[in-house]
Amino acid sequence: MAERVLRGVALAGLALLLWRALRPPAMSSADVASGDLGAALARWTARAPTDAHVAIDSVPDRRTRDWLRALRAAGTTVRWSASKPLAPAAVVAEPAVDPHGATRVRLAANAGEPVALVDAAGLVDSLPRGGNTELELGVITGDLRVRGASFAAATSPRDRLTLRPVLVLGAAGWESKFTIAALEESGWRVAARLRVAPSVEVTQGPLDAIDTAQYSAVVVVDSTAASSAAAIARYARSGGGLLLVGSAARISALAAVAPGSIGRRVAGVAGAVASDAPRTGLGAFAIASPRADAILLESRDDMVLVAARRAHAGRVVQTGYDETWRWRMSGGDEAVRAHRDWWSRLVGAVAYAPLQPVVSEADFARDEAPLAALHAALGAPVPMPTPVESDRDPSRTTRILFVIVAGALLLEWLSRRLRGAR
Amino acid sequence: MSEFVFATAQYESGDWDSAPLVSANIIDSVARYTSIPVAPTGAIVSLSSDDLFRFPLVFLTGHLPVRFTEAERVNVKRFADRGGMLFVDDHNHDIDGAFHKTAVDELARAVSPLTQLPNTHAIYSSFFRFPDGPPNTSHELNGWGDNLVHTHLLAAMRGDRIAVLYSNKDYSSEWGYHPDNKRFLSVDNTKFGVNVIVYALTR
Repeated sequence: MAERVLRGVALAGLALLLWRALRPPAMSSADVASGDLGAALARWTARAPTDAHVAIDSVPDRRTRDWLRALRAAGTTVRWSASKPLAPAAVVAEPAVDPHGATRVRLAANAGEPVALVDAAGLVDSLPRGGNTELELGVITGDLRVRGASFAAATSPRDRLTLRPVLVLGAAGWESKFTIAALEESGWRVAARLRVAPSVEVTQGPLDAIDTAQYSAVVVVDSTAASSAAAIARYARSGGGLLLVGSAARISALAAVAPGSIGRRVAGVAGAVASDAPRTGLGAFAIASPRADAILLESRDDMVLVAARRAHAGRVVQTGYDETWRWRMSGGDEAVRAHRDWWSRLVGAVAYAPLQPVVSEADFARDEAPLAALHAALGAPVPMPTPVESDRDPSRTTRILFVIVAGALLLEWLSRRLRGAR
Repeated sequence: MSEFVFATAQYESGDWDSAPLVSANIIDSVARYTSIPVAPTGAIVSLSSDDLFRFPLVFLTGHLPVRFTEAERVNVKRFADRGGMLFVDDHNHDIDGAFHKTAVDELARAVSPLTQLPNTHAIYSSFFRFPDGPPNTSHELNGWGDNLVHTHLLAAMRGDRIAVLYSNKDYSSEWGYHPDNKRFLSVDNTKFGVNVIVYALTR
């Protein structure tokens, strides 16, 4: 009888061992470091653990985070901890008011951590010391990826600007001519009405009613645009960009929206137009009595020369410089480019540029704040687990079963030998 | 606002001052027909001087061969690159004379080769209308010089803008009289000069 029991125990043990060998082993808990995470995710997808703990030394990319979140949604308790402090990093891109389609990028990264900015065409820029900064980049192809040692983020502008032509009004003269040239060379579409004689105007480009549906900005080069002043002021108040040059603010209708009034004439410093501070060599009208809401942008010897303000929905910049053509013609080697950029930036600062949302493939690659997204996906990190020997070690159970089977078989064999049976 | 100053180029070779009355006559016409503020007297500016860049439109004439110095060549190129316009007139009104051959050669080296300007170009309608292109001069019609009526002007372009305007029509002689004598003309023959100035100031 005892031998039968022992044989039954051995057979049952063997059957149990066979079942354990053939059944899909259940994982109850898994720990993995970030270096093994890719392989672990594939394994966990085939056989999900009840608990998973990921120890990371850098912020996982969007794909990895989505995978972990999917595991969590499927029932696995996913926790994470950082093996070293992870600095929050974020990047966002938006279109700059620039006819060539420049992109403004705001970046927050760990100070001291080198950062590379890459788009589909290759390296765009780099920051050897990282940190928080704002950059104006050229045209970005696809999404902009930002990489540091501890993070990788990606962004792309969500909107596109609609830029309309710039209308230049004034008398025929060098300032009008070179202002138009600078804006056209910067990529702006320019329409112009330049007075040549009391009833004669030289025109170019699309000339329509002065409103925001037609023009992104109006540049008034001098005081000869008085007949259009009321329409220009209305345009500025309704959201249009207005740039008042030199004596333009003398026109009473425009004085109502100007940042200040026309002050005395300031002479340029002889020879300075070819120096490192070329505008000090230019004559200008000082901006007197700036309004309380005016922002003073440029001064010389306590005299305001460039100022800006909001006029209801529009923006107005007033510049006292009315001979910037001398800068372009007589300045140093970079004068043409600098003159062009200066005018383009002034117009860009006031231009009415409505946004249109952009839907593209880049939307799906956008990952602007990866650490914040990790928190959103998996919650806050937990302390690193201390390795403890599991009391549910499957190999221990196997060893015990093996000892029981072997012991049962041995005892049965001894019993049979002792009673002389074979 | 700066006044327009009619500037005549002074260069080392040749006779740069061969048409001294042109400036007074053109200044008179600009003041007469337009509201452009214009300085009552012209200026003479050396092609090799930094002062060249104070005058974005410069008139150059002469009869004799033109050879720019290196400094003049560099300045003329820089002048054109920055947006200046050089108006060159052959005082000989011929197409194979010494001035023409040398000036065209020098301008090609300094700026770029000259090409024929279409008679529909904006310069022919910038103020007065010249539907047939550049107006003829009495010297051409009288058969003087090369006995040709030059139907086109030449130009070196920077983008779509004229950087060098070149004429074989001898406007230097045509416009080289005292403005007081303009009243004896049935048609003012300096009107094209106004077009050149208005074009330079607006394009």
